[in-house]
Amino acid sequence: MDPHRIYEIRCPVHGFVAFNDWERQIISHPAFQRLRRIRQLAWTDQVYPGAMHTRFEHSLGVMHTANLLYDSIVRNAKEVLSSELGYDDAGFRRNRQLVRLGALLHDVGHSPFSHASEELFPDQANGEGKFTHEQYSAAIVRGPLRTVIEEHILNQGNYGFTADDVAALIEGSAGAKQGIFWRDLITGQMDADRMDYLLRDSHHAGVQYGRFDLHRLISTVTAIPGTEGRPPRLGIEYGGWHAAEALVLARYFMFTQVYFHKTRVAYDIHLREAMKEVLPGGHFPKPTNDELEAYLQWDDWRVLGLLSEGKGGEHGERLAKRKHYRMVFQTNEIQTDADRTRLARVRVALGDLLVAEMPAGKSWYKRDDSDIAVYRNQDGQRKVAPLSEYSNVVRHLGKNDQILVYCLPERKQEAATKVEEAIHGLE
Amino acid sequence: MDWSELQDARLAVITELASLTPGGHVGRTALMKFCYLLQTVKGVPLGYHFTLYSYGPFDSSVLSDLSTAETLRAVQSSLTYYPGGYGYQIKKGECGDSALNAGQNFLSQHKDSIEWVLQEFGSHGSADLELESTIVYVDREAAKKSETLPIEHLALRVRDVKPHFPEDYIRGKASELLSKNLLRGSAGAVSACQ
Repeated sequence: MDPHRIYEIRCPVHGFVAFNDWERQIISHPAFQRLRRIRQLAWTDQVYPGAMHTRFEHSLGVMHTANLLYDSIVRNAKEVLSSELGYDDAGFRRNRQLVRLGALLHDVGHSPFSHASEELFPDQANGEGKFTHEQYSAAIVRGPLRTVIEEHILNQGNYGFTADDVAALIEGSAGAKQGIFWRDLITGQMDADRMDYLLRDSHHAGVQYGRFDLHRLISTVTAIPGTEGRPPRLGIEYGGWHAAEALVLARYFMFTQVYFHKTRVAYDIHLREAMKEVLPGGHFPKPTNDELEAYLQWDDWRVLGLLSEGKGGEHGERLAKRKHYRMVFQTNEIQTDADRTRLARVRVALGDLLVAEMPAGKSWYKRDDSDIAVYRNQDGQRKVAPLSEYSNVVRHLGKNDQILVYCLPERKQEAATKVEEAIHGLE
Repeated sequence: MDWSELQDARLAVITELASLTPGGHVGRTALMKFCYLLQTVKGVPLGYHFTLYSYGPFDSSVLSDLSTAETLRAVQSSLTYYPGGYGYQIKKGECGDSALNAGQNFLSQHKDSIEWVLQEFGSHGSADLELESTIVYVDREAAKKSETLPIEHLALRVRDVKPHFPEDYIRGKASELLSKNLLRGSAGAVSACQ
């Protein structure tokens, strides 16, 4: 076998994704192949039937996109990186490979149906909240994937990476050393993850939202020199700000039209509750040496099997028969005092008719900061400004704090009447 | 705490930090690092999940909450430029009192911690706050693995992440934090773990 052979796989978003023999062996590992059985958007197909894609193809796409971003940043800001991070050619090659591996493996720890079941991760012992899927990814990299990462001839002959190097980049720990600079490409404002998932989710859902000019964005991403004792940061060259603006808008539309779709959200609620029934103790095994193998046994197939055996309780039944909760009230995206008053009255009026609430801020797909740094170097005059200084749209795009309120489908009419009365009393 | 109580608590803390920081406003970096230090050093249960970046511990949820606070006019941000960059000045907004009232119980429970973070770190610049919070982060990583790091080793680990700081400067900052009992996994001298 030729360890230098390059392989290609077709991708509906990027055309072809190329990988080397080392990456191929990682991809072929059962811990990575499990991602073929983890759907990217849970039960979104109940609203958008085409959205049946998996974390497997997304992970390949993130590796591809991260590589394009990396190459472009090095092209645009080689001097900044050389002077501030000390890279020589070997350093650039080494970090490129590290970014590829981190991007490829960043989601390897996802639970069945991706984010929909993350609330069932167990609590950490130290009071730091629940484990995160990144912590599962890091544990899988350090555990089952260690050998395939460390022992390939391409690694031993060229890079000498340990599994810990890759895990540290994924989870965000000091072991990543200077490579931590690249973590923004895997999980940050302009990361390869969101660039890929927006385009991929849009493609499979069949919506026209979520599109932006990926190649323009990639060609203008850069490293902005650090100032006042601070490290360099990722940003966009002035010529790319419209592409960055389109990325922000793509996120907004995908959130409102797909990720936070009222019915999709209802299916997340049912799935989570049904999974509480099928998981021993109501939560996943921990990402620890003694429980990780048991965790890896959980995938969509296993959950669906248990649900089809009727083990998902009332919520499993609702999933199977499409008797999902119905949205009976929603606040505006930008909440005002009047909104909050209305919501309080609706809650009281509904009483036990209210079966679930979902605030946008609690959703994994929440929109965070869109303050992308724009770098302009005109006639030797360097200026760094936030995207909102150039984009009128971004400046006025407030945060979505919408709250969706649900009732049982069989009591929808009764609940709607109560809501109407509660709101009418205010007008 | 349920979601809405947690949200009220976070918005109240953000508003309080904006109003009590020396100068009457706080920057975004300072806000992020104050929240990190409050949660990590003082155990204030803000529910954030900080991970490490080259600019120190970070959780985008803090900025998301800041954005909500701005929408509710609990705080008000204005953009400022400095040579080679920009930043924000965040001050208490016209509806700041509503946010403070909504999180009043939480604020009273953690009043001392908020005063502490502002007294200890309130006048520090962004670069120092990034460095100091990174030192605490690396120290806590070591503590979690039951490691005892001599201050020199801690400084070397931090320098790997923040190579633009001189090693002796990092060591000085780490010693300062150690002398204030803010480090857990670190000790004063190399001999401590040999």
